[in-house]
Amino acid sequence: MATPEAVAEKRELAGINSDYKEKFGFNDSELGYAYKAPKGLSREIVETISDYKDEPQWMREFRLKALEHFYERPTPKWGGNLDQIDWDDIHYFVRASEKNSRDWSEVPDDIKNTFDRLGIPEAERKFLSGVGAQYESEVVYHQVNEKLEAQGVIFTDMDTALREHEDLVREHWATIIPANDNKLAALNSAVWSGGSFVYVPAGVKVEMPLQAYFRINTENMGQFERTLIITEEGADVHYIEGCTAPVYSSDSLHSAVVEIVAKKSSRVRYTTVQNWSQNVFNLVTKRAVAHEKATMEWVDCNLGSKLTMKYPSIYLMGPEAHGEILSIAFAGEGQHQDAGGKIIHAAPKTSSSIFSKSISKDGGRSTYRGLLEIADGATESRSKVVCDALLLDEDSRSDTYPTIRIDENDADVGHEATVSKIGDEQLFYLQSRGLDEEEASKMIVNGFIEPVTKELPMEYAVELNRLIELQMEGSIG
Amino acid sequence: MAEVATEPAWLEERRREGASLVESLPLPDHKSKGWEFTDLSKLDIDSYEESGAEAEVSGGEGATVVSLADAVSSHAELLEASLGSLVPVEDPFVARNEAGWRDGVLVHVPRGVKVTEPIRIEVPVDRSGAAIGWRTLVVLEEGAEAEVWEHWSSPGDEVDGLLNSVVELSVGQAATLRYVNTQDISEKSWIFATQRAHVERDARLDWTALGFGSGGGKVRMDTKLAGPGSEARVTGGYAGGPGQHLDFDTTQEHAAPNTNSDLAFRGVLAAGSTAVWRGMIKVDPGAQQTDAFQESRNLLLSTDAHADAIPGLEILADDVRCTHAAAIAQIDKEQLFYLTSRGLDPAGAKTLIIEGFLESLVERLAEGPVRDEVSARLEQRLAEIL
Repeated sequence: MATPEAVAEKRELAGINSDYKEKFGFNDSELGYAYKAPKGLSREIVETISDYKDEPQWMREFRLKALEHFYERPTPKWGGNLDQIDWDDIHYFVRASEKNSRDWSEVPDDIKNTFDRLGIPEAERKFLSGVGAQYESEVVYHQVNEKLEAQGVIFTDMDTALREHEDLVREHWATIIPANDNKLAALNSAVWSGGSFVYVPAGVKVEMPLQAYFRINTENMGQFERTLIITEEGADVHYIEGCTAPVYSSDSLHSAVVEIVAKKSSRVRYTTVQNWSQNVFNLVTKRAVAHEKATMEWVDCNLGSKLTMKYPSIYLMGPEAHGEILSIAFAGEGQHQDAGGKIIHAAPKTSSSIFSKSISKDGGRSTYRGLLEIADGATESRSKVVCDALLLDEDSRSDTYPTIRIDENDADVGHEATVSKIGDEQLFYLQSRGLDEEEASKMIVNGFIEPVTKELPMEYAVELNRLIELQMEGSIG
Repeated sequence: MAEVATEPAWLEERRREGASLVESLPLPDHKSKGWEFTDLSKLDIDSYEESGAEAEVSGGEGATVVSLADAVSSHAELLEASLGSLVPVEDPFVARNEAGWRDGVLVHVPRGVKVTEPIRIEVPVDRSGAAIGWRTLVVLEEGAEAEVWEHWSSPGDEVDGLLNSVVELSVGQAATLRYVNTQDISEKSWIFATQRAHVERDARLDWTALGFGSGGGKVRMDTKLAGPGSEARVTGGYAGGPGQHLDFDTTQEHAAPNTNSDLAFRGVLAAGSTAVWRGMIKVDPGAQQTDAFQESRNLLLSTDAHADAIPGLEILADDVRCTHAAAIAQIDKEQLFYLTSRGLDPAGAKTLIIEGFLESLVERLAEGPVRDEVSARLEQRLAEIL
């Protein structure tokens, strides 16, 4: 039964997820864009972006070459349906304000209002060490606390990094994900704008997570951020990105590229809470290289978007490197979450694990698509892949497509997957303890994803649980 | 078995359709869906001449067991209704079989008849340069019971032939079929087998397959649980030696509620061998109370062996329990150490561990002649590759 508190909470929660129009019912139409490229993609647009950013020649050439790759490659036919994307009906570059703000007081008021509603200052007040907020295609607000700077940590937007740390950027740029890796990576390479650059010097452990918030805010505007994280020997960093976007009537495209280089004995954890509005195509290429004894962890939560195709990858290139992928997908009405992960063992004594949890509801479809490869020479390697899926009604769909390739005989590889509904016995037990069916179901679903949520920082875990509870409202007849 | 001089119009028409599909369906390459891990670039299919097989068939008192060539006239109506009813022609190999099959066997067990003695079918792949288009059609009417053993083999290791086989198993309401297929054709020969079973209401299928022979190709084993309350148990074992590539592609499709499927494959791969196993559990909308299980385990005996496992789940109903597991591992060094510390020589200890690995497959089979024979064949095969 809905208590007044529950109703109030539901109304509040409604803002977090699907009902953007009610809560964030604005398109910031009065906002003055500093520059907005016309729709569509061309050599001229790419050159304009490069001119606008006053980039070095090598970057301009990189973009133009990537554009050729984009034109040459066919649209992927697997995964979700990408035929609905009208490549010519997208703004590939929008610039929101003239310069970056280091100080909160310098952020324009209307943008600040948006962030207020998203709760960024509040989050920052807590204990965040730095906030990079991507509004439109450019980072407008950025703060790295002084302690980090004193340690030599660089945490800045990618455009600034290219200006101020060109050599460092150029050394690692596109070394993990080349421009011709796939059609969407080629697109990003051609028109990228914004994103984060993180460099952690040897031996430095960043104690607080680095966070960046992203929003798509112009109708039909793609967001093509580019993130590069480099950790030197023995360094340690946790990077978090969370997404939220207002509702628009026509389809939007988000196509990011994230590259991570974890050098010897370093550790990188990259956490994503993806909650794009349900008209966004979220097509992201994320890949990390872990060198000797390094640890790379992807924590990937996909709740929003119309279609997500995202398979964070880890190449274990040095002996004793370790990789982990934790993935949650929630597919509601009209959504297809095509997510998963790839781990390639390319050196001896490497280890990895993939844990995937998916929930499908109201006709939604969640797909686990993964690759686990033990390449020739990766002796004494171990891996475990576990995929569990919950189906909440008969209209929904769950797919599991793991691929396992083994080229070494002393590998130890296991894979398990289950698909089921909420157990009648579990429901009965909880109901016999006084919970109604809806409460019991919520509790079971939260328990189901708990192995992943417990790896999230608390505020994210709380938000994720609330979002999923909201999605569960009314799911029991 | 004799060739048929004139064929009925329906069959001629089907052969024509098959032939036109041979023209329009190109042979798969490594980019074709489902063929990513099996290389056919060395297959010159037109160099093999369409040929019949000197098959031997025995047993089956109470059932109709007749060569397909004869059945064309003696069981025309049944054949027209059943042949090709389970395996659609959407693959170039099936199309070739449709167009050019020379012979095969029809097993028909009438309603309520229980055949006690196993029906045995021996198909030799014994001539180099021959492409054998073979068909097996098993039809069990309501409440019937039968056991069919099919053995595809070659007399020696030197035969460079091709077996292109289509097997259809129709298990009628409340019928029980046990189908055992053992394959040890020459390692220089190609195998393309498309096998599909339909299991109707309350019926039961127990399917066992052993794949030892052939150099390359693909063996499909699809089971459709077509009627409520139906059940299928599929057990597969394979063992590859130098130069062999084994490819198994299995589907468990649940098309009706209250159905149960249980599939387990185990493979042992010696130096120079590769294997790919692809398995899919499909649960159609409305197929509630489905219980599906799928397991694939590989044991690699050498650094020079390679295995791919591609399990899959496509679930469109919610009241289900579907589980799959895949594992690829080597011989456990601790087990080996334990056994050698007990006085076994390393080779003997290794054999014991491999036999233990395969034993859990054998244990899936009920005690009796099938179990004994599968066990004996596995043992013999291990002796060959170790």
